[in-house]
Amino acid sequence: MSDFLYFFTFQDSSIAFVVIGITLLGIGSAYVGTYSFLDKKALLGDAISHAVLPGICLGFMLAGEKNPIYIVTGAFLSGALATFLTSWLKSNTRLSDDAIIASILSIFFGFGVVLLTVIQKSGNPEMAGLNQFIFGNAIAILEEDLYIYGGLAILIIITLTAFRKEFSMLVFNADFGKSIGYPMGAIRLVFNVLMILAVVIGIQAIGVVLMAALLIAPGAAARFWTDKLGKLLLIAGAFSAVSGILGTYVSFVIPQMPTGPWVVVFLSLFAFASFLFAPKKGVLSRFIARRYYLKKTHQDHLLKLIYHGLESGKNSFAIEEIYESFPYRKRQTKHTIDELLKTNLLTLNQGLIDFTSKGKSEAKRIVRLHRLWELYLNEYMNIAPDHVHDSAEKLEHILTPELEALLENRLNYPKLDPHQEAIPRDNDEL
Amino acid sequence: MIINVDSPVLEIHDLTVSYDQSPVLWNVDLSLPAGKLIGILGPNGAGKSTLIKAIMGLIPITGGYVKLFDRELNDVRSRISYVPQRESVDWNFPASVLDVVMMGTYGKLGLFRRPGKKEKKIAMDCLEKVGMQAFVDRQISELSGGQQQRVFIARALAQEADLYLMDEPFAGVDMATETAIFQLLQEMTAAGKTVIVVHHDIHSAMNYFDWIIMLNLHLVASGPKAQVVTEELLRKTYGGKLNLLTKVTDIIRQKDFNPLKS
Repeated sequence: MSDFLYFFTFQDSSIAFVVIGITLLGIGSAYVGTYSFLDKKALLGDAISHAVLPGICLGFMLAGEKNPIYIVTGAFLSGALATFLTSWLKSNTRLSDDAIIASILSIFFGFGVVLLTVIQKSGNPEMAGLNQFIFGNAIAILEEDLYIYGGLAILIIITLTAFRKEFSMLVFNADFGKSIGYPMGAIRLVFNVLMILAVVIGIQAIGVVLMAALLIAPGAAARFWTDKLGKLLLIAGAFSAVSGILGTYVSFVIPQMPTGPWVVVFLSLFAFASFLFAPKKGVLSRFIARRYYLKKTHQDHLLKLIYHGLESGKNSFAIEEIYESFPYRKRQTKHTIDELLKTNLLTLNQGLIDFTSKGKSEAKRIVRLHRLWELYLNEYMNIAPDHVHDSAEKLEHILTPELEALLENRLNYPKLDPHQEAIPRDNDEL
Repeated sequence: MIINVDSPVLEIHDLTVSYDQSPVLWNVDLSLPAGKLIGILGPNGAGKSTLIKAIMGLIPITGGYVKLFDRELNDVRSRISYVPQRESVDWNFPASVLDVVMMGTYGKLGLFRRPGKKEKKIAMDCLEKVGMQAFVDRQISELSGGQQQRVFIARALAQEADLYLMDEPFAGVDMATETAIFQLLQEMTAAGKTVIVVHHDIHSAMNYFDWIIMLNLHLVASGPKAQVVTEELLRKTYGGKLNLLTKVTDIIRQKDFNPLKS
C-alpha cells in the first residue's frame, strides 16, 4: 500500500518523469498503431520492432556506452532499412507479403542477438543495461533519456494530428488522394518514419520483442467500442497510456521485473474485456441479442399456435394443451406464456388461455408475414408450395413493416397463400 | 472506326500500358468531345479500368501521352474528378458519409488545411443531389452497395470539376440507384461537363451514352453511338478472343524484361 501511495502521489520526481514518459509513449504508439491497424499492416510494426535490435547494438558499440542519441539513431536507421527492404522486396521479387515480413523480422532479430552476445562477451561494464532493450525497463529510464523519448512522442502526436486528413486518405483511398494531386508517396514515407519512431521510443520502456503489441493492441481493442475515427484514437490512446502506467508500477514494486510483459498483460486485459463486453460488437452483447431473438421466436410461434386453433374453430386453449404442442420445452413455454400475459397479449381465465385484442392483431401480423413470404417465394421465385414453409418460418420474425408494405404491393394485396389459406389483415373477422 | 474531334477535352496519343510484364493496352489513339456522356465498353480484362487509371496517372505509362484540356494532367487536376471502383476501398474504415463526401473538397483545400463550414456546405449540397442527405452522419460500413456508390458520386460532385472519369459506377447497384445516377449524369453533361464512364452492360449502354469507346486490349472503336454501334464492331470487341495478341502477351510475360519499355 505504501508503495502504491509512493508511486501514484509522485513524491519522487523521477517517478513522475517516468509516468509522463510512458503516457506520451503509449499515446504516440497507439495513435500510429491504430492507423496501421486500419491499413491492415499490423505485421509490419512487428517486423520493425524486432528489426531495430541490431541498430541498438551497433549504436552501443560505436558509443561504447548507453548513449541515448547513438542508440536512438542506430535503432531508427536499422528500422528504416528493414522498412525499405520490405517494400523493395515486394516490388522486385514475387515473394508474398507474409514471407517477406517473416524473413525480415527473423533475419534482423537474429543478427541483433548475435551482436548482443558479442557485446556481452566483450566485458564492457556499461553493457549491463543493454539486456533491458529486449523486454524493457521503464524504471531505468533516466531524465535525459526522457527528453529524447518524450520529445519524439510529442512530435509523433503533433504530426499525426496535423495530417489527420492526409493519413485518413492514405488508409481509406490512396488512389483518390493521388488523383487530386496529393503527394501520396511522400505521405506514406512520413507515416513509415512515424511508425519507426514510435517503435524506437518504446524500446527502452517496453523492449523490442513486445513493442508491436503496444502499436496494435490498443487500436484493435478500441475498434470494438466505436465506429468514429476521433473516438477510436482517443480510446486507443487511453487504453495504451493506462496499461503503460500500470505496467511501470508493477516493475517498480517488484525488483528485476521487466516492464514490457506487464504492459502487454494489462493491454490484453483491456483487449479481452473489449472483446467480451463492448456494446453491439462484444461477445456478451451478441449472445444477449441472440437469446432475445430466440425468446421472441418462441413467443411468435406460441401466438401462431393459438391463431391456427382459432382458424380451425377452437376458441380457447388449456395451458396443458399448449405445453403438449411444444414437447420437451415445458419450462421455456411456461416462461413465454408468463411473458405474454405480462405484456398483455394473452389472458388467462380459469386455466384457459385466450387472446387479448392486442395479442390477436400481433398473431395476425406474424401469420400474415409468414403467408406473404410463402406466396412471394412461390410466385416470384418459382419455388414449389411444399418447399416454402421452412424459409417463411424463419423470416416471419425479422421482416420489417417496410418490407411488409413492399410485399403487399408487389403481390397486390393477395387473399390466399400458396396453400389456399387466408392471409389475415387487421380488420378481418375469423 | 475511330472518330476524332477538334479541340478535344481528352486526347490520348499512342498510349501503351503494361502491368509488371504484360501489356494490357496497345497503342490507343483517340480524342473526345466536350459535354458528352461517354461510355467505355469491353469484355472483362479488356483494359477499361486501366485506361482510366492511366489517364489519371495512377499507373505508369509504357509509351505515348495523355493531354487533358490540351494541357498536362498536373496543370489541370482541379478540373478533373476520378471515381474509383467501389470495391477498391475498405468500407469498414471508421468514417461517416459526410467525411467521405468532404474528401471531394480536399483538392482545392490543399494539404494541412482542415475542412470548415464552406466545405461542409458543399458536401451537404452534393449529398442532396444524389438523394443521400438523410444519411449524412451514417457510418459508411452501414451503407448498401447502391448507397456507397451514391456517396462516391457525391464526393465527385464536391470536386466541382469539368471532366469526370468514373470506374464502373453502375456495378452492383439497384435499379433505382442506376436510374438516379444516370439522370444526374445527363444533367451534368447538359450543363457542359464531360462524363466518361466505364460500363460493363452493353444493353443499358445503348440507352445511356452519346459517345461510345469500344476496347479489347486495343481500341476497336470510338465515336458517336449511331456510327460505332454496328454488329461488326461489337463482334470485334466482344466476340472471339484475340488469340494472337494474347500469345504475344504470354511470351512477353515469360521474358525477364518488357521489350515495350524504352
